Amino acid sequence: MLKYTIRRLLLVIPTLFFVALITFALAKAAPGSPFDRNPDKPPKQEVIDRWNRFYGLDKPVHEQFIMYVINVAKLDFGLSVVRQRPVVDIIGQGFPVTAQLGIQALLLALAVALPLGVISALKQNTAIDYISLFFATVGTTIPSFVMAIFFIYFFALNLKLFPITGWGTPQHMVMPTVILAMGASAFLARITRASMLEAIRQDYVRTARSKGLREQVVVVSHVLKNALIPVATVVGPAAAGLITGSFIIETFFSVPGMGREYVRSILALDYPVIMGTTLLYAFFIIIANLSVDLVYGMLDPRIKVAK
Amino acid sequence: MISHRIGTSFVATLLAASLLVTACQQTPSVDQPGATQGGGVAGQADPNGEILLNTGGEPDTIDPQKASFVNEIAQAAFVFEGLMTFDAKTTRPVPAAAAKMPEVSADGLKYKYTVRDGLKYSDGTRLTAKNFEYSFLRGCDPTESGDYAFVLYIVVGCEAWNTMDPRKASPAELAAAKAKVGIKATSDLEIEFTLTSPAPFFLPVSALWIGWPVRESDVKKGGDRWTEPVTYIGNGPFKLVEWRHNEKLVFERNDNYRKKIQIKRVTKLMINEASVALAAYRNNELDLVGVAPTDLRTVQADAELKAQLVDVAGSCTSYYGFNVRRPPFNDANIRLAFAKSIDRDALVRDLQQGIGKAADGGFIPPGFPGYDNTDTAQKFDPAAAKTLLEAASPASKAGLTGLKYTFASSSIAKTRAEWAQNQWKTNLGVTVELDPVQSTAYSALFKKGQEAPQLFSLGWCADFPDQQNWHSTVWLTGGLSAGRTGYSSKPFDDLAKQADREPDPAKRDALYLQAGKQLSKDAPAVWATYDSGKRVQKPWIKGVIDNPMDYGIPGFFALESIFVVKH
Repeated sequence: MLKYTIRRLLLVIPTLFFVALITFALAKAAPGSPFDRNPDKPPKQEVIDRWNRFYGLDKPVHEQFIMYVINVAKLDFGLSVVRQRPVVDIIGQGFPVTAQLGIQALLLALAVALPLGVISALKQNTAIDYISLFFATVGTTIPSFVMAIFFIYFFALNLKLFPITGWGTPQHMVMPTVILAMGASAFLARITRASMLEAIRQDYVRTARSKGLREQVVVVSHVLKNALIPVATVVGPAAAGLITGSFIIETFFSVPGMGREYVRSILALDYPVIMGTTLLYAFFIIIANLSVDLVYGMLDPRIKVAK
Repeated sequence: MISHRIGTSFVATLLAASLLVTACQQTPSVDQPGATQGGGVAGQADPNGEILLNTGGEPDTIDPQKASFVNEIAQAAFVFEGLMTFDAKTTRPVPAAAAKMPEVSADGLKYKYTVRDGLKYSDGTRLTAKNFEYSFLRGCDPTESGDYAFVLYIVVGCEAWNTMDPRKASPAELAAAKAKVGIKATSDLEIEFTLTSPAPFFLPVSALWIGWPVRESDVKKGGDRWTEPVTYIGNGPFKLVEWRHNEKLVFERNDNYRKKIQIKRVTKLMINEASVALAAYRNNELDLVGVAPTDLRTVQADAELKAQLVDVAGSCTSYYGFNVRRPPFNDANIRLAFAKSIDRDALVRDLQQGIGKAADGGFIPPGFPGYDNTDTAQKFDPAAAKTLLEAASPASKAGLTGLKYTFASSSIAKTRAEWAQNQWKTNLGVTVELDPVQSTAYSALFKKGQEAPQLFSLGWCADFPDQQNWHSTVWLTGGLSAGRTGYSSKPFDDLAKQADREPDPAKRDALYLQAGKQLSKDAPAVWATYDSGKRVQKPWIKGVIDNPMDYGIPGFFALESIFVVKH
């Protein structure tokens, strides 16, 4: 297991290299220039040339990429072209906020979805099953910004329970976390329910029951672990997605996180920030997938991760 | 031009769906203790008054010599004060950190400013003419300056230095160029500027943010991070005490400022979405917020909000530009035909919910020197438009087939484009195809000269209140929009250039009026609307004197008169 983990971790480096290459190519292929912030009043050509030279953007594209890779190896992620602040600063300030929001949303989503999925599978076709199905449908179909507006008007303006914008105190965190969790938990609840229903119909469950085990023990010790394998598959990328942030939630609630900043940097063609953030996200997705594979091994010993 | 970058609007259009939800809600009543329903607030100023504003998104930079968007200038404006400023009521340049109006030499080439004695930075150190010398020079410095260096090109040597390439030129060459720049502090309190030619518009230029006095020691100490609160020290009404990136900026009163400010603290939040900002305002998380056209109905439907509405004058004109180098718009008849077939009143009424004004007086908007409501060359007149179209040459008319209207795409721009397309079809019988383009790629299209877009959208916002910033900067041969349209008119150039140098104000104004009329008649562009806005403001905020140049900070040119009533 350890050898496997180390081998997977070593593979991170070539993976990130290719992510960087593709992202770089795509960003450069996009038309326009980061210095063209205002279409109605563009700076003079000499000024643009000067800025291009300062940031090394006048060199041939492959040279720029090699320079970038060498700098990253030295852990120098460059300066934001638009904000003139170090990329590490920008990400370092935004990412913890986004990660906190994402982790809170993930935990909330799991706390709601897993029990809900399990119970609705055990009590299939009863009232609780239908309620959870309804909740799952609502959660996946209504777009998050509609929920956001609704929450703002109802909970903040009408009931005055929470402040609308900002970050810092627990009250600020409630609405963004809940809305972010809603989509994920609806989806996770469905998957949990489906895989529970499948697992419960397996032969070994009938065997366990016929051995005289209590239903609770059957469910928890035998069914649950197997049912969670498909769920684990999904939680990995879902976690990565939540932790890397939701642009819409962050925009609506003015959460000072990376999601907003990332989209802004793409629209502004702020190459260093785009590269830095994409690499960070890619790294998280790789780690998330690795964790999922390791968790498989723990859930089901038949799945050998090594060899 | 200063740009007003409004928050993302792509989601705003989808909010129509969610309005169904809110329409079913009771309009919330603000029933907190002390909050009043319209008028009736007693006028006792709270010495610890706080104001909560929304500054939109995170500013990219707040360095005065690099700022170019209103969002950026607005932050620097709180912390720094320049030699001159603009009078809140007349918009004319008046002394600020300078003790009096500058002495101008007889040939109009030398401007000598005397700095007030006893001015201090917020940390108590003395402000001298050397600080201004450093900042103005920094504005010309090719390694430091930003988009607005061009306003200083009227100063001897500034353009030559600013356009050098710091990587190619040697340090000696750069130093030599710097030494030639006509900005010198002749004593502790006196600074002299030498211009390349007489330019009465240098007076308003000397009030611009590019000359706000940053300290060399702060810039050196902070390096890339000098705009963080610890090194962002200024001589203005407030000091920056906290900058939580992407979240908020907090300013506190600078007790070393030369005037007494009645507000203790200003917090600026960063809310991108207009509708969220309005919700925050209703929740008392903001004291003042702009009202987008999409939210105007909601505001007017609520009696309390309606009473809090205030009109905000604008500083921009939007227009449709023509590529006059090739058919169809190389023919002035066709250009005027297009200009006369736009019903601007309908545009303001239907598309903008009454916010904004029809462009009924030439290029310069009302509230600015040079506004000319007798300029009717482009007035809406569909019959005359059709006649003009008939009179055009066949070669040019041939260019009307396949005509495209190019614009930087956003949901607002698309709606306006569709409206214009409809107007030209209905009133003129010409079919125009829409050609939306990603905004970062938009400017690059105009480098193609002859092959640049034929019909496109454009706007200009004043950098300073003077006709030079409108007519000359934008439409002289080689000017910003002149370049894009290919417009070059000797009569116009002569008039504008003469006016630029004319020392007598009455003659100067008359010359610019003539130039303006020439411009409207030549019609390299169709003046569409003058912008203006609306905002809502809490009844406990008092003493705000609005001015169209105020960098988005209501009451900026008379901050000392703003106070907050205890609430």
